[in-house]
Amino acid sequence: MSSDLAVKTREPDPLPPEKAPFFSRPSGKIFLIWLAMTVVGVLIGFYAPHHLLPTMLSVEGRAVWATVVLLTVLAAPVAAFVYGVGFYSLVAWRQRGYGQSDEPPPDGPPLRGNSGLTILWLVVSGVLVVVMLVWGLAELASENATHPNSLQVDVTGQQWLWTFSYPGAGNLETRSLVLPDNRTIVFHVTSEDVTHGFWPVELGVQVDANPNVVTTIQATTNKLGAFTVRCSQLCGLYHSFMYASGAVVTPQAFAVWLHAHGASALTASDVARVSSSS
Amino acid sequence: MSEKPGRERKPKALGIILTFVAVAIGVAVVAILFHAQTYTSPVGTQVAKSVGTVTVNGQTLQHVTLAFNTYPDASGSVDGQAIHPGGNPSWPSYGPTNQFQVPAHALVTVTMRQYDSGGSLNNPWFATVRGTVGSVARINGRLVHAVNPNNVGHTFTVRGAPGTDPGFFVNVPLPAVPGNNQSDNGQYETVIFSFVSGSQGVYGWNCEYPCGTSVAGFGGPMSAFGYMSGFLHVV
Amino acid sequence: MTTAAAPALLEDTQLSSRAGGLYRHQNIVTGLIGGIGLGAIGWALSHQFLQGSNWGTDMVVTVTMAGWVIGLLLGIGAFNAPVLWMLGHDQTHEDELYLAGVGQGPRRYWKFCTDHKVVGVQYLIAVFTIFGVGGTLAMMIRTQLVSAHSSFLGANAYNAIVSVHGMAMIVATIIMVTGPFGNFIVPIMVGAKDMAFPRLNALSFWLLFAAVPPLLATFVLGGVDAGWTTYAPLSVQAPPAMDAFAITILTFAVSVTLSGINIIVTVLTMRAEGMTLNRLPIFTWGAVIGSALGLYAMPAFMVGMVMMITDRVSGTSFFVAAVGGSGWLWENIFWIMGHPEVYVILIPPVAAMLEVVSTFARKPIFAYKVTVGAFIAIIALSIMVWAHHMFTTGWAPDLNGPFMLTTELISIPTGIIFLCVIGTLWRGSIWTRLPMYWAYLFLWNFIIGGVTGIYLSDVPADNYFHGDMFVTAHFHYTLLGGAMIAAVAAFCYWFPKVSGRMLNERIGKVAFWMVAIGIQITYFGMFWEGFEGMPRRVAYYDPIFLHANQMATVGAYLLMAGFVVLLYAIIHSWVHGRPAPANPWHAKSLEWMVPTPVPLENFLVEPVVTADPYGYGEPEPAAPAAEPEREPVPVGSAETTAGEPV
Repeated sequence: MSSDLAVKTREPDPLPPEKAPFFSRPSGKIFLIWLAMTVVGVLIGFYAPHHLLPTMLSVEGRAVWATVVLLTVLAAPVAAFVYGVGFYSLVAWRQRGYGQSDEPPPDGPPLRGNSGLTILWLVVSGVLVVVMLVWGLAELASENATHPNSLQVDVTGQQWLWTFSYPGAGNLETRSLVLPDNRTIVFHVTSEDVTHGFWPVELGVQVDANPNVVTTIQATTNKLGAFTVRCSQLCGLYHSFMYASGAVVTPQAFAVWLHAHGASALTASDVARVSSSS
Repeated sequence: MSEKPGRERKPKALGIILTFVAVAIGVAVVAILFHAQTYTSPVGTQVAKSVGTVTVNGQTLQHVTLAFNTYPDASGSVDGQAIHPGGNPSWPSYGPTNQFQVPAHALVTVTMRQYDSGGSLNNPWFATVRGTVGSVARINGRLVHAVNPNNVGHTFTVRGAPGTDPGFFVNVPLPAVPGNNQSDNGQYETVIFSFVSGSQGVYGWNCEYPCGTSVAGFGGPMSAFGYMSGFLHVV
Repeated sequence: MTTAAAPALLEDTQLSSRAGGLYRHQNIVTGLIGGIGLGAIGWALSHQFLQGSNWGTDMVVTVTMAGWVIGLLLGIGAFNAPVLWMLGHDQTHEDELYLAGVGQGPRRYWKFCTDHKVVGVQYLIAVFTIFGVGGTLAMMIRTQLVSAHSSFLGANAYNAIVSVHGMAMIVATIIMVTGPFGNFIVPIMVGAKDMAFPRLNALSFWLLFAAVPPLLATFVLGGVDAGWTTYAPLSVQAPPAMDAFAITILTFAVSVTLSGINIIVTVLTMRAEGMTLNRLPIFTWGAVIGSALGLYAMPAFMVGMVMMITDRVSGTSFFVAAVGGSGWLWENIFWIMGHPEVYVILIPPVAAMLEVVSTFARKPIFAYKVTVGAFIAIIALSIMVWAHHMFTTGWAPDLNGPFMLTTELISIPTGIIFLCVIGTLWRGSIWTRLPMYWAYLFLWNFIIGGVTGIYLSDVPADNYFHGDMFVTAHFHYTLLGGAMIAAVAAFCYWFPKVSGRMLNERIGKVAFWMVAIGIQITYFGMFWEGFEGMPRRVAYYDPIFLHANQMATVGAYLLMAGFVVLLYAIIHSWVHGRPAPANPWHAKSLEWMVPTPVPLENFLVEPVVTADPYGYGEPEPAAPAAEPEREPVPVGSAETTAGEPV
């Protein structure tokens, strides 16, 4: 047990002399690892959202994509630095032969801190936070800006179906959400029973449907295509069945659709009108 | 002393602890399976009866029928067909089962007896017949497009699991029988409707009239699988 | 010590046959009898008198479950001493020794025992049990999701399992470090003989014990279909299981609060001579700071659950909008608890892992004071960020900006923790024993958890990812990949002290690789689902998410298998392992200076501390007296008081 008492310091300091070229010193090697991993992180930042996110049909959806890319690019150097030091420590400073040993390797150097480095770390993370924040607030402001000529849509969630109504078109009420292209849509969302989450996925926005309250969210469409409205808030038994289909169509097609459904508001697939055979 | 070994823990003592852990996990698993069992329909699936073919819009479709009812309680007091005689006998219930199987793209004709009283829908949208052939239902012999949203007993509302045919949707309001309480006096409304089934997949149906417990009326039977909800398997 | 007859080994003391009084006859069996008995009485009475009322079943379940909790505590003897005091009596010293488990061998683990080490082991077994249940439920969830429209569970059982999986894991992770190690290790670390309030300590464990059966009972009471977040009004209309769930939370919150008070008071008042706050091991700081935050968070949960019970049982309408309440009120109360709570979970294991990093890098902790400051900054900020869980609820859109600010600010002190870890690794002598493996895994996972958290803190991106599997993957990366892996590192580190055996590292490393790879596969599968837009907590999903789900399920099975292998390593080592020396890691904090197994009241001689426990590579602090032959207690930072008989 006497080994407990002995202070062993590692004999040859593994640091090469100060004159050594930068890239043969640990800091230089870590810099290279950092650089490589940062590049990988940035590439992932551009690749992953582009290939994994669905095709967004609105300005807000594009903002989701841009935000994910930006934040990945910002975070990549930080993560790469931590990973770089971590990996390098495993490769370069692991004391070989001690993995199964009950005796510890000699102690490392007693570095208890470095106020300069700490301050630098705080400043860098502070700057990153400010950048993130400014970006987020700017996005938030643009998403909340009011637009003239916006289309109002009332959304009602109930266990376990969405219904949509168009106050500008004689309160036409439907089960699927059809929207015109290049138009700001303001959704007024409420619920008949419990809390639901109104999430038109490809529009990149969502807001909860709360009973007895109307919440609003807006999205500006900029691309034609089909999308899905899902429920993002656990709402009971058939939560997973609570979805609706939607489409962004040309303004002309939207007008035609409104006209076609305006009178009787029937959404059944146009099955031939046969009399009930029973 | 410095090399004094750890206390001689008897493996037996540890064995007891592990038994305890295992028993706790086992109890949990059994409870869950018991629970899952409780909420699957005890009667099984009603397979639609084929009654030949029918021509719709020049297309020849298989024609099948289903028959089921809605009851004011699950005790079987009306005709012995309520589906959860052992569960919560006082809850309103569909019967004789909550799981139905129909062929894809077939004309399905449903004959129902609605024995329950009722009231107002949370959302009057469900008072309109939707998705059936002609968007009508034959209620007590009369073809109707919609019923009074303040006098609905239950609804039969079908839509698909995510990823199934989005065009397949059926909503049929079932008018209430007179009476303020859940009456089991045997009075009923006959509702007959036909729809063309969608493509293959799991479709869920439920009732949209708040016949359950709690504030919005969606607790109890509305939230427990099998009373006011079930599956329509399209094969 | 080679000669010592160890006069302080109180375990060998013979107590009179009357010592302990009623306690002699009380153990877990009388506890269960009491709990089931009073529960049955509660059921019979409430069934008789309350069943007919509007909220009858809810009332009956509430009364029955409350009866179970109180009956269990009565039966196990938690109230003996307070009753004695009320009657004007007191317990003798012998009674107290009996209560601390003297002379009872393994039986004391099944009793209301005040020895902090017994309570620590009891907590450890409880944590394993709850993780076992939670993990099994997770496997059922993943099995349901292996195909898009699986009929394995059905929607009812699925929702019930999701709720209990969430709550069980939250319960287990909150206590996984402060319970076992906060009780077993912290008093020794600071040089105390026991916790400040040993009786409260025992009470906090048995409250936890009482809290778990009602949680499992939810399965046969209809199932909680509202998730562990139990958003109102869905939870108000949930089956009677919700009442049992509420009793679980009330009981558990009391348990955590008592345990937190105990840890804080112990560290503040019972430190050994010379153990200044600057010399406190960082894990002690973590346990205190985490517990202090728990004192802030848990009461909110209790208040919320009391309101929930009254909403359900007596028709109040705090949370029911249709009759004047607001679901947002519940969401606020819940997240005022809920966000601090993740730091209650996170800080103690991370602090424990820093001990591991320092010991196995053979270096002092880098920027010790800044890191402690960072912990404090985290808990200060964490009480101001709760509404980031409510960005998309529509509650207060104008507050989204400010809450985005506080949320992103919290990444600055969290970053300091990374600085501390990599600063400690820098030029260290990395000793790759099993605990260090888990510490590296923590580093890997927690970066991913942190980076993905940044997306969620940004409101425009959260407008997409909220309520999505992305969130699920993110918090599993932080809580499982981060906190729980750090806790496993701490467990492997302290296992020799707790069990007296060395952990089998060969099997342990097999488990490590299975868990490490399992986590990445599982949660990258979930990130994929999340990017594609799959909502959380769905029993059936669109087949477009099929491959991502299958990936997650495969990973989850591997992950669970890894934990089972780890459990095997633990059990195998606990029974057959190599006996552990007192200080297998040659570490310098006080818990390694006491013999293994640790005697009652821990220290044979009261320690005097002259330096912090991180003096790796530094010359020994000037020892007051040379002590050539006396070993192993105390060395390093601890010194015997000169001249005191040993």
